[in-house]
Amino acid sequence: MAIRVTLDRILLERRMSLTELSERVGVTLANLSILKTGKAKAIRFSTLNALCRVLECQPGELLSYEPAEDDAALEKEGVE
Amino acid sequence: MKALGKGSIASFIRWALGFAWWVMWFFAGILTIAAIACTLFFFGLAVHAYKIETDGKSVLMYAPYAAIGFAFVGVSIAGTLAIIWRLRRLFTNFCAGDPFNKSNADHLRWIWIILLFMEVWKYPLGALTVALWAVAPVPVDKDGFNFDDHHNGIDFSTWFAILIIIVLAEVFREGARLREEQELTI
Repeated sequence: MAIRVTLDRILLERRMSLTELSERVGVTLANLSILKTGKAKAIRFSTLNALCRVLECQPGELLSYEPAEDDAALEKEGVE
Repeated sequence: MKALGKGSIASFIRWALGFAWWVMWFFAGILTIAAIACTLFFFGLAVHAYKIETDGKSVLMYAPYAAIGFAFVGVSIAGTLAIIWRLRRLFTNFCAGDPFNKSNADHLRWIWIILLFMEVWKYPLGALTVALWAVAPVPVDKDGFNFDDHHNGIDFSTWFAILIIIVLAEVFREGARLREEQELTI
């Protein structure tokens, strides 16, 4: 998955723990850990909305696109 | 009455499968004893289960038919036991309220594979019996057993059931995939 969640960096900047974020957002600690470690397959807009509201950030600050090697290979196949 | 979970229809079916499991093992035991007894009989050892009123050569003619019969029944019992084992695992998951589990899709897949094998296996066995009958027919009374009336054709209901289970296995696989995706959706 080429989408990266930069939750660690923002939590550090806001000096907030994952536990506190979990309580304020209303998402379980386990699910936030899944999100933080990049194991999540999808995120609901409602969750993204809650995260951005609590962390006072834009979705683009939380999520980034980093094409992996397999993505580069898929793109190359598409071009050819 | 609910279909899944504790005290459901699935629980009753799981109990029934447990009963069927032990009944099939009982039949497997009887088959094993019968196979041993017949082997001893046909190889002329001291044990004689019953008399066939014929000469020694005719008795030996029955041996290949007995072997085919035991092979057929043995495979049927083994296949049925394997299917019941898979169904018990399936319904254990249903009783736990967990229908869309990847292992359930695997159980259904194995069930159709076993059913397919049990169905396909009959044809070479039947062909062997027909070939044997042409060479060494079992002497029967005029009004007795007639092989030609008892050969089996294609059992469309079983083949249809196999196709249905193939589709169900893929439905459960897709359900497990969707559930996993839903669990990993934050």
